Amino acid sequence: MFGRSHAPAALVAPASLYVAAAFLLPVAILIAGTILPGGKLSAAGYVRFFADPLSLEVVWRTVRIGIVVTIVCIVLGYAMALAIVDAGTKARGQLIGLTILPLMISPVARTYAWVVILGRVGLFNNLIVGLGLTQQPFRLLFSEGAVYVGLVQLFLPIMVLPLVSALENLPADVVAAARTLGADWFTVFRRLLLPLTREGLVIGGTLVFNGAVTAYVTPAVLGGTRNLSLATLLYQQVAVTDDLLAAGVVATILIAMSVTASVLLRRVSTSRDRALTRAR
Amino acid sequence: MRAIGRIVLGVAFLFLIGPFAVIVAAAFHGGDTLTFPPNHLSMRWIMEVLANRNFQTSFVLSIVLAIAATLAALALGVPAAYALVRYRPRGAGAIRGLLGSPVVVSGLVVGLALLHYVVVPLDLPVTIALFVAHTAILLPYAVRVVSASLVNLRVDIEEAAVLLGASRLTAFRLIVLPNIRNGLLAAFVLGFITSFNEVPASLFLTGPGIRTLPIEMMLSMELVYDPSIAALSTLLTLGTLIMVLASERLLGLSRYV
Amino acid sequence: MFIRTLAIAACIVATIAAAASAEDATVVLSSYGIAQPQYGKDLYSPFEAQCGCKVVVDTGNSAARLAKLEAYKDNPDTDVAALSDASAAQAAKEGLIEPIDVGALSNFPKLYQIAQDPVGGHFAVGYTFYATSIVYRTDKMPPVTSWQVLWSPTLNKRIALPDITTTQGVPVAYMANLTFNGTMPDMKVGIAKVTALKDSAVTYYPSSAVATQLFQQDEIWAAPVGRFDWPNLKKLDVPLAWSMPQEGQSGGMNVLVLVKGAKHKALAMKLIDAWLSTEVQTALASDLVDSPANSEVKLAPAAAEILVYGPEAVKSLHLVPPDVVLANRAAWVADWNAGMAH
Repeated sequence: MFGRSHAPAALVAPASLYVAAAFLLPVAILIAGTILPGGKLSAAGYVRFFADPLSLEVVWRTVRIGIVVTIVCIVLGYAMALAIVDAGTKARGQLIGLTILPLMISPVARTYAWVVILGRVGLFNNLIVGLGLTQQPFRLLFSEGAVYVGLVQLFLPIMVLPLVSALENLPADVVAAARTLGADWFTVFRRLLLPLTREGLVIGGTLVFNGAVTAYVTPAVLGGTRNLSLATLLYQQVAVTDDLLAAGVVATILIAMSVTASVLLRRVSTSRDRALTRAR
Repeated sequence: MRAIGRIVLGVAFLFLIGPFAVIVAAAFHGGDTLTFPPNHLSMRWIMEVLANRNFQTSFVLSIVLAIAATLAALALGVPAAYALVRYRPRGAGAIRGLLGSPVVVSGLVVGLALLHYVVVPLDLPVTIALFVAHTAILLPYAVRVVSASLVNLRVDIEEAAVLLGASRLTAFRLIVLPNIRNGLLAAFVLGFITSFNEVPASLFLTGPGIRTLPIEMMLSMELVYDPSIAALSTLLTLGTLIMVLASERLLGLSRYV
Repeated sequence: MFIRTLAIAACIVATIAAAASAEDATVVLSSYGIAQPQYGKDLYSPFEAQCGCKVVVDTGNSAARLAKLEAYKDNPDTDVAALSDASAAQAAKEGLIEPIDVGALSNFPKLYQIAQDPVGGHFAVGYTFYATSIVYRTDKMPPVTSWQVLWSPTLNKRIALPDITTTQGVPVAYMANLTFNGTMPDMKVGIAKVTALKDSAVTYYPSSAVATQLFQQDEIWAAPVGRFDWPNLKKLDVPLAWSMPQEGQSGGMNVLVLVKGAKHKALAMKLIDAWLSTEVQTALASDLVDSPANSEVKLAPAAAEILVYGPEAVKSLHLVPPDVVLANRAAWVADWNAGMAH
């Protein structure tokens, strides 16, 4: 009944055409513009970018931020997901709701909260000075560390949700069976849980890495102008110099980073677990 | 084991949600400058923020934009999701990839590209560009959420309707739509909130008197050192909370995310 | 569902239509973000009442707004802009602005001589001057007598500096250059010295208002800022003082320009004239927003002490001429970027 028909083409056409025309086309022109300045094929824009030591610093910082935030989110996220799944079916729904909640709140508000907490006269410093742990308050804001904290808070829920989903889909008695057969918790984790939740890890990891690398608000507010990431560098270049070629180069590198990460991370998830998770 | 789990969750949620409590407390400080903890409480900054003309204008723009973009994304996304789930055509994977692509690219790039290749050359008002950008950004969410609810809807009810003489369109209208109503509403709420909070794409797409609320907030943050931003954040958080809790209660929002 | 969609669509169309119709009696101004409430009270509201029109303001720092003018060159959405004199010189060079018919400005003759044609060709008229010097916490250090204090190890991670692309960036680099005996127009010594502080500075601020915030949050103890920020700084609950270093102060002039192809030129000219009028300039000065460029403004001693008042005060500042900025800016920015990398 839903076999061959011209209907599907007509139904997906508007959305597909829209994405192609309103989104892909302008972005493609922007990318093309970086190798065709003034209509002639040239890598001058990229040469200029990579020759500038500040640019390289920004690229490495962005990659570093992506990797650190992703790893921290994986570790914390896995712990949270295990705890949520362990909590029993009734509490699970509420806990998932509680996890989704921060995602809905404006990133500007979320980042501003960290300004209040990490500032020199903010909550954290007042606490540790008040408790006598240290004489002088710490400089926490306008640092790469502050960016890590802000981004982890932003993306942790995104890591937790696919993991919970993956853990929930495990056949119910698998863990119990393994324990009965004598496996300790570490072995259970390494040989059983990790491989079976690989796809969830990949989905979450990709979303978190992409998000961390392309984030704007958090590095802008918590990192300051001395800790530029590719996104804040892009904004600065467009807003201050109106150099479309330079901005296009930064934008292209940003896109390349996201795409590479997505492709690489997808390779990690193999077809083996797809067969297993499908057997629900 | 459960105990460790409880501790982990306690710490985790303190980290995730604690900062909002801080902001809410800071919002009620009555003094002139941002202070935490607040040493005398007052509604002063909440009232000032509500009366601020710039915030009011941006708020209206953000609301209108969010509604319009979400409706547009659903208008495009629902048929696409339906086709992908029911017909499973060849190249479905590629189409899904295409429709999901705006998620991979930073909103900054989208905003920049639209500004330089659409707004300026065509002398288009910035509001249109905002609408176009937000719709593109929301489309992947619309497709994903609606697909999820369509997958759970049994095909045989539709088939029965068609067999009994209904046209495909009527079957869609009378059978499918009511049954995925919750999914649609969830998609609407998700899209609305995503558009309302959107920053990167909206960053370049500003003009005289045209700024979405998050952008207005960010720029304000650089200029003021009083609790007004905390007050505004508190109001927005409250609004979002009410929306999400209501959706969770009425629609089971968490099932679709 | 269908009806609802239609209703919402209708609302959207109505909103857009309303916005479009408001355009006819509108003048669009691009200006600094600081002190907008006072501008509303002293300039925009009286002007709107007088002309029966609406003033729409786009704010940001000078460099960002100049970039916007460049982007919208062929279809300007702005009519008037308040820029630094250096940004105005650049705008004139790039053909973004048109000469002002100063004969049509009734208040033009009242301006100080140096404010009448600051970038040449009557492309701009000055509306305010300001001094740039170091503001510091009196409870954390002895009185500041020299610009060298910024390089003192005791202020490590306690200072903020302006980015070279901002309005204060060049004056500060210029004073560093002067203090450490560098040469002009290359300013290499000054730029090298300022970027050498990159690990000592908390941040390179994009606008003076951010510096204010940093003082308030106790993140910094000293920073060079423009005098127009001093009234805000005085209001903070930390003890601050404005220094008079032995090497002198720098500063600048902010100017008004007319955007080429402005859609509301007549209203724009009226706004410029109103901005230069004795009433408005006096009001802004009394509110401690901007030092007057109108020579007929008479100030109470309290205000006069805080602002840069009178031609002698202006002459004492070390100002960098806009044409020098224009010719050397690219080289300065390149040197700056090289200095900022580790």
